Amino acid sequence: MRRSFRGPAHGLVLAVFVAACSGGAATTAPSTGARSPAATTPGASTSATTPAATQIVPIAGGLLDKIMKAGKIVVSTDPKYPPQSKQKPDGSFEGFDIDVANEIGKRLGVTVEYTTPDWTAITAGGWGGRWDMSVGSMTITPDRAKALDFSPPYYFTPAQMTVRTDTGITSIDGLVGKTVCSGEGTTYDQWLNGTLDFGPAGKPAPPPAGIKSTTLPTDTDCPDQWKAGRNDFEGWLSSITTVDGAIDADLPVTKVGDPVYLEPLGVAVDKSGPTTTDFVAWLTVTIAEMHADGTLSEFSEKWFKTDYTLPPTP
Amino acid sequence: MRGLAAQQPGIDPSMVASTQTIVADIRRARQRSSLRFRLIFIGTWFVLVGGLSVALASTGRIHVDFLAEWAPFFLGGVPLTIFVSVVSIAFAVVFALIGALGRISTIAPIFATATLYVSLVRGTPLIVQIFFVYSALPQFGIVLPAIVAGIFALSFNYGAYMTEIFRAGIEAVPRGQIEAAHALGMSDAQTMRRIVLPQAVRIVIPAIGNEFIAMIKDSALVSFVALQELFWRARTTGSANFASFETLIFAAVVYWLLTITFSTAQEWLERRMRESDRRT
Repeated sequence: MRRSFRGPAHGLVLAVFVAACSGGAATTAPSTGARSPAATTPGASTSATTPAATQIVPIAGGLLDKIMKAGKIVVSTDPKYPPQSKQKPDGSFEGFDIDVANEIGKRLGVTVEYTTPDWTAITAGGWGGRWDMSVGSMTITPDRAKALDFSPPYYFTPAQMTVRTDTGITSIDGLVGKTVCSGEGTTYDQWLNGTLDFGPAGKPAPPPAGIKSTTLPTDTDCPDQWKAGRNDFEGWLSSITTVDGAIDADLPVTKVGDPVYLEPLGVAVDKSGPTTTDFVAWLTVTIAEMHADGTLSEFSEKWFKTDYTLPPTP
Repeated sequence: MRGLAAQQPGIDPSMVASTQTIVADIRRARQRSSLRFRLIFIGTWFVLVGGLSVALASTGRIHVDFLAEWAPFFLGGVPLTIFVSVVSIAFAVVFALIGALGRISTIAPIFATATLYVSLVRGTPLIVQIFFVYSALPQFGIVLPAIVAGIFALSFNYGAYMTEIFRAGIEAVPRGQIEAAHALGMSDAQTMRRIVLPQAVRIVIPAIGNEFIAMIKDSALVSFVALQELFWRARTTGSANFASFETLIFAAVVYWLLTITFSTAQEWLERRMRESDRRT
């Protein structure tokens, strides 16, 4: 990306994008499914043409300025989460989120560096400038939007309920009175406790009454316990991508019912760091471009065998 | 024998053991160094550890090729584990020394501050302290690099526990030493620096060794601040590959080997320090 510093027209465009992106979670409103760039940025529909990412003006001292000056972007990732993020024996990373982050770095024209803090440190905000961006399949919620600024969703995953194969349960209602496991700090845990809220996009339908919930440090720990032979809980709720990964690894996991909700996942930056408006504006345009030119769909097919990047149809 | 021992400098006459205990000590030491004893020791370990390994292997969940593929990656975290532990214990000793001097101080504000340090830091969980240093201090404008934050939190925490150990060590140096130093015209500071502290160090070395061995395992907590040490690597790979059973056992074995190595080094150090007490 080459910066261009011309014209008040860019200031106007920037103002429009700032308006679109303020409030963080505002971009989760479902669109009609058409994959044009304007569809993912409600509020920007007033502009006749979407400007190219090259025309975003970095604010002096802002996040985009910091990244361009350093020539690299530091991205946080939690590699316990295949196929979104996983580490290889040589220490490098691979996965859907990794491909997306590398693509963002490529389009920005900087190198990408990864760091691996704890997931709770990432979602809490207050990163202290230690890393610039999180591409970690983070669900956009109003609570998180208090500390982080989100890009528009780069994909949507269905949350899939599963049971241990030998329980013989065939429907979600069969889990009433039983316990369902999920990862700590995930939206799956929030949904099971009835506290999940997507802000402007509304709340998903609540779980049936009488289902108990428990958590383990990360999503994959739940089916790992079943593999170990423990029977502390009968169900496991996680993203369909992680569930498919567990089934492929021959774990005793059986899907039950349709996905219980669809969650928008966004790229996050820290509100308490350098000003983020320029970088979020650039991200908004770039992610729209990545949707439009099929890059995100291609990554999704590669890692999930399905295209999860299409926004939900209302 | 009692009279001779009582005349040794630095030995409190009231602490001289009776003849029978000394003979028992010698007998026990001779027995432990005998070849037969050592062979049976090794044999028992072999049986117990071997039995445990066979039991684990029989679960069918240890895949040697998987571990072989990942072993270099896991072992790549060991230097960081050792580095963090060694640097943290070194700074912890510094904190503990300052804390202990504060805890024996007769100046009220110094004593109060030292007591607060010990109480607060021992009374809050270490992981909370690490989180605080890493994520909360930036709110006050203090942004420490991850490794500095991790080492500082660990050493600050262990310093509080070791403060009490150091204080006990300082107080265990016989009063006769301090009185003799004053009789020679040394000031309080000189006495502390040249007479009391060197002897106190000898007393607390075993305790520091213990703390260091505990520190090796607590260093796993710095994984919170994005440091990829041994435990983080084992746990992350285990979670991602649904193989936590094997990877965590592997990590446990490596920690055990590290502990054995450092315990042996500590025993050697203690034996060197005791040379001045040996009569044979």
